This record gives sequence, C-alpha cells and structure tokens, in this order.
Amino acid sequence: MPREANPVLELPFDVRPDPDEFIQAAMDWHFSPETGSPYWLERAKKLDFDPRADVKSFDDLKLFPNIVNELRDTPAQDLVPQGYGDAPDVVGVYESGGTTGAPKRVVCLADWMDRLVAWSLVNLDAHGFPRGANWLGVTPTGPHIVGELFSRSAAAHGSLSFPVDLDPRWVKRLIAAGRTDQADAYAEHVIDQAAFVLRTQDIGVMAITPPLLERLARRDELVDLVNQKVRAIRWGGTQMDADSRYLYRTEVFPDTLLYGHYGSTMILGIAGQRPGLGDDGPCVFDTFSPYVTFSVVNPETRRTVPYGERGQVVMNHISKSLFLPNNLERDLATRIEPLPGQIGDAVADIAPVTHFEDEAVIEGVY
Amino acid sequence: MTRSTADIVTLDALGPAGAYASRSHQEIKDVAGNPVARLGLVPTLFVSRAMTALRRSARLPVDDRIAAIARAGELFATATLGGLSVSEYEYRVSRVSGLPLSVVRAATRTAAHRAAHVHESVQYARPAGSVGDWRDPLTRSGRAVWSRRGDVLAVHVSGVHPGAHSLWLEALALGFKVAVRPTRREPFTAHRLVTALWEAGFGTDHVILLPTEQEAGEAVLRGADLAYGGDDVIRRFAGESTVLPQEPGRSKVLLTAGTDWRAHLDMIVDSVAHHGGTGCVNATAVLVEGDPAPVAEAIAARFTALPSLPPEDEKAVLPVQARMPAKALERYVLNNAVGTRAWLGGDGFIDELEDGSAVLRPTVHQLDSPTAPQSDLELPFPCVWVAPWTPEAGLEPLRDTLVLTAVTDDARLIDDLVNEPTIGNLYIGGHPTHWTDIGMPHDGYLSDFLMRTKTVIRG
Repeated sequence: MPREANPVLELPFDVRPDPDEFIQAAMDWHFSPETGSPYWLERAKKLDFDPRADVKSFDDLKLFPNIVNELRDTPAQDLVPQGYGDAPDVVGVYESGGTTGAPKRVVCLADWMDRLVAWSLVNLDAHGFPRGANWLGVTPTGPHIVGELFSRSAAAHGSLSFPVDLDPRWVKRLIAAGRTDQADAYAEHVIDQAAFVLRTQDIGVMAITPPLLERLARRDELVDLVNQKVRAIRWGGTQMDADSRYLYRTEVFPDTLLYGHYGSTMILGIAGQRPGLGDDGPCVFDTFSPYVTFSVVNPETRRTVPYGERGQVVMNHISKSLFLPNNLERDLATRIEPLPGQIGDAVADIAPVTHFEDEAVIEGVY
Repeated sequence: MTRSTADIVTLDALGPAGAYASRSHQEIKDVAGNPVARLGLVPTLFVSRAMTALRRSARLPVDDRIAAIARAGELFATATLGGLSVSEYEYRVSRVSGLPLSVVRAATRTAAHRAAHVHESVQYARPAGSVGDWRDPLTRSGRAVWSRRGDVLAVHVSGVHPGAHSLWLEALALGFKVAVRPTRREPFTAHRLVTALWEAGFGTDHVILLPTEQEAGEAVLRGADLAYGGDDVIRRFAGESTVLPQEPGRSKVLLTAGTDWRAHLDMIVDSVAHHGGTGCVNATAVLVEGDPAPVAEAIAARFTALPSLPPEDEKAVLPVQARMPAKALERYVLNNAVGTRAWLGGDGFIDELEDGSAVLRPTVHQLDSPTAPQSDLELPFPCVWVAPWTPEAGLEPLRDTLVLTAVTDDARLIDDLVNEPTIGNLYIGGHPTHWTDIGMPHDGYLSDFLMRTKTVIRG
C-alpha cells in the first residue's frame, strides 16, 4: 500500500518549499521504517547520527558520508522507498557513464521524472526553444538517463524525436586501450547516423554532446544543414570550453540558440544554463533547487570556496523518490552566486579533474 | 640587461583570419619561475576550422614565396614584431629556455641566413633527374617532376632551441601550407617567425600558429596531409607514413689509433658543448681507440673553466633550468652513472643561482666498454660519455647516430660508416659534430619526406 507523504514533498514543480521544512520531511520519509528504502534503512544503522533527529537543514547534509560507490553493487530495487507501495511507477534503472570505474545505479520513479521534465521545459522556453519542433538526439542511450530525458523532453516540448544510438562506454574503453582509430571510426559512424536524419527530416532542435558537435562541425554539409534547419542546440554530457562556445555562437551557428546542460546520473537530472548570458562570459548552470543542489568545495578541507573560486562539485539529490546526499563529483567548477531563492551554488567553467579515486578519467565522446 | 618581470606579453594564436585572442591561456614561466608570457590556447573546434581554411587558401607563386621567406628572415632578425624588438625577443627566449643569450643570438642570425638561401637549400634535395615544374621543356620528351606529397604540413615543435624553426621554412618554399603547433616551453620563436612571414607577404591563411593542449594538438595533425616534429602528438602517431618524427641525435666522435687526439681537443670539446650542449648534433659519446682516460681528463679540464652564469648574461655558455627539473636531471644522471669513472660532475653538476634557477655544468664520465648503455644517454647539457673502442667492437657502438665525426685514415672503416644506414651524417677528420651549411641534410633532407617524383610527358 502506498503511504501518504508530507505534502511538502509533492508540491508543484514551480512552488518552492521552505528549505528546512523540506529537508525534515525528506528525512522523515527516507528514514521511517514504513516509508524508507531498504537500502537507507539498513545503511542508517551504520551512521553515527539519527537523520530524523539531527538533520534539520541543508547544511546538516554534510553529516552523511558519500555513499555513491555503494551504488555499484546495491540491488536496484532496494533503492525504492517502501512508501511507494508494492507497485511503484518506475521509469527505469539508470547507470552512471562509467567514466570512473564500474557503473553506479539509481532508480528513477515517475513522479520525479515528471517534475524534472516540467522544470526543464520552462528552461527551454526561457531560452527561446521553438515549441513543436522535431528533435534529433545525438546523446547516450541505453541505461543513461539523458536518453530518457531526451525522448520525454522532445515529446513534451516538441513533436517527433529522432534518437541516434550511442554507447559512450565503448568509446571510453577504446580510448583507454589507445585504439584511437577505432574510437574515431565509432564517432564518425554516430555522425553518419545524425547526417541521415538531418538530410531527410525537418529537425528544429538538436541535443548533442560537445565532442560530437565539434565533429559534426568538421563537415561543411552538416554545418549548412544545421544552419538551415536547426533553431536550437542543447548540449551536455561533457564540458564546452569558452572559446568553442564563442566560436559556435559567433561563427559556426550564429543564428542558432545554444543551450547547455550540466548533469549527472547521481542527481537524476541536470542543471540548466542560466538565461541571458552573453556570448563571451562563463557558462553558468543553475540547479533544480531544492531537489538538486550543488556546493563547490575545496577537495581537501571539504569547505565551500568563496564565490568566483574553483573547487570540486558536491551534489545532493533530495526528492520523494531518491535521497543521494553529499556526492563529491569528478568535476571542478567555479562557484557562482545562485539566483535569488535558490539553495546551494550555481557553477561555471566545469572541467574534469584528471584523476579520480586512482582511475584516470577518460572523457571520450560523452 | 635587466628587465622587470611586470611586462608579461600575450602571445595570441595566429589563425587563418589573423591573431585570435582566446579565452584560455597558459602561463609561460622563465627558469626562475616568473611568468613572462600568456600563451593563448585554442580548442579542437578552432583547430579543425583553421586546418580547413588552410587547405582552401590560395598559394603564392614560387617566386613570391621565396622572396617573402627571405624578407621574413630579415624581419625576424631585425624588426619589432608583436611588440618585441629583436633583443627583447632574444632576452625572453634565453630566460624561458635557459639557453645562453649568445646561443639565441646566433640562432637569430642563422634563421635569417637560412631564410635568405631557402630556395638554394631545397634545390640541393631535388633528385638530379627531375625538374621543378611541369612547364620545364624537358617534360616534352618525358621527365620526372618533383611534386608535393600533400598540401598541408603540420609542424609539432618540441625542442626549445630556436634553430628548430628554420627547417620548416623549406616546406613553405616548396608550396606547403603550414600549421605550427609551438612548444609551450618556448613559444616566442614560432610566434615571431609566423608574424614575420605574415608581414613579409604570406596570407594569414597560408601559415598559422596553433598553440593547443594535447587533444586539440591531435586535430592539428589530423587536419594536415603530412606532419613533422617531436612533440607528444607526433610520438603517438610516429608509425604512420605521413608522420616524420624527430629522433634523438646520439651524435658521436670516434678517434681511431694513430690519430693525435690532442690536435683535435678543440673540436671534441666544441662538439660536446657548442651552443650549450643542448642540441641533437652535440656529441653524446666520444669513442677512443686506445686509452680513453687521458682524453676524458683533457675534456674535463677544459670544461672546469666554464663559468656558471644566468642565461641572459653576455658571457654565459652553459644552459640553465628551473631548480626542480635540474635537480631531477642531476639525480637521473648520477643514478645512471653508477659504475662509471667520473672525471667531472661525479658528485653532482648543478650550480644554483640566486633566482631559483640552476646552471647545468658539464659532466665527463669514462665507460669501460663501447657498448655500455650510458653512451646512448643524450641529455640537454654538455654531458659526455668517453669510452674505449676497438676495430673488433666494430660498428655496433656507432649505430643510431645523427652525426658521427670520425677522425681516422682507415678507408675501409669509412666505407663501412658511409654504408651504415643508421648513421645520419659522417664527418671525416676534424669537423665538429654541429657543423652544417646550406644544402646539407640534417637527418636526410626534409624534402625527402615532403616531396616525390612523378613522370610527366606532354605534347
């Protein structure tokens, strides 16, 4: 039987809950024996504090250890809060990119996906994305949530979606093995698939990763097709440096909107580019607060760095469907002041740290 | 000359539409760790587009190219370019590379000289049976025409010696479009030379400068037909027929029995230490038929007298590096020298200067066998391994050598040395290993890689 949750966990996506009230409701949901997930109820026994009694604010999330590595071998069904009852509405099990070792798994429930898509559509509108367009997706598919987000966004904001199959882990493996010629051939194959769609279909929006966008831009025919047809490009998955962003906006695709995402499977979603940025400034990303929050910290002390300075990104996901606090991500970023009413930090100038838990980070096409 | 470190210059990428002020920079530091320049780095997207533009650009007629290269050499050696006078440029190169100022000045003169003679230089490399243009009357009855193996050349510079840059002018003379990826250790020379070529008449879409990190560096190579150089990117693709890697020099001097080595001591010392001993044409090993000890002792005695000075000092003759890499180099050499007889530098060889840099003083070690592995250890300072050699040891210890100076009268040995394919250049008698002149191949002619012959018959 599904259990009633505190309504503060089920507000419409554009109503902002009181942060402390929200946190306390989330702790109650995820750590009560009747509603919490088997994983968290078991894991809580090893904590030296009581989440329901001791975690009263966002700041208190620091009490939690970073548990993401446990998600490499935790049975996925143990992550679903029992409060959803015997037949939870599951969208899917999603895996991290596998950039840093064995993949980590999370479960995405329908109420969260709906909320995320609704928020994301407002973002696309704010950036001027055309409604009702056909979407081409040159992004990872398979167990990667970005593929699901692509098809749902296309369906809700546009009309038809045209995804291209892409397995980023294979590319990473080829690069790690030094087989750059094969990685190259695979990426060219992916662009070939996109080319068929661009030539024959009326595409108005393209979702793509920066390395593949750069590769697409090497072909004059495709640059011309994008300039003729595509009104908006949504990029994400890896970083785009400031010079490339400037060149796209001023020279390569001067009349096409360019909108960036910064996401992670471990937040079950994305942070979106702030509207109204110039061609030449840093690309700032805002989170879907309070459900997804970032803090930019000194990796040694774990203290927040001052605004404008670089640090490593710590991510929190807190929703009715998932609780994943205090995850130190592999990326470095500049800490940016958030928009009014937002919890946590906005980020800019994302760059991967080169070594993460002793495995060299390979970016590849994803 | 002293100079405040406040005047940090910005070296922009020089792309097909002119200088490009990028948002991403790398700080270039001198040997004391003071920042002296900000080098603009360009991303893969910029590189790919620049390489396409290069391929599409119009080519200057050959006469105009030759004249422009000569004029560029003149400008390089005399003009204020990119806000730097010649002396300001040379001072900075000396401070970041650690090369003695006199070495940098000599390289400036050499660049101008080579630029002035670039046409003559490439003509030496043209096969005797071929003509340079299909319009030559000889093609009416059938003739080989010397033609390019591609359209665009990528030059991936690794070394800090400015002389590395005068060679690729030959590619421009032959009609290649050229993209230079400068070394981030010393980007001044490449920047100055491309600027000079632009001022002298080359289009900005004919020769470009693309400072990049590794990934975009691969795009430079990928966008070209042929690539030449010695950086990390070249090493990665070194097996491909369109990539010409610069190899270590491991140059050597051989003194056979009956030669009076004392009469050649100047030549030997010069071979090791000329231009700070940093080049691939500097001798790494001296092989002596007979007792090597007196030779090693005499070389060491000469080196002892060389002064330890900052690189920008007029009298400096030895190279300088930042203290940390210098110390690492010292440990490396000392570890490798275990079991050898040290005549100089056996307890260490760096002289620390007040500003945090360190002079790399010469070392002389005696080996007990011509095949001891140390004799291949080529290092960027006057570091020489002196070993015994016998006719029985034969060619083995003389292989894989860029320049071999052989002081010998043995015509049969000379035959063998000329016929040995892994010996790049053979100097017989008292010629130092660094000798060269217009028209002399360095490691074969660069044109051997850039050009091919094809039969043309017409009419």
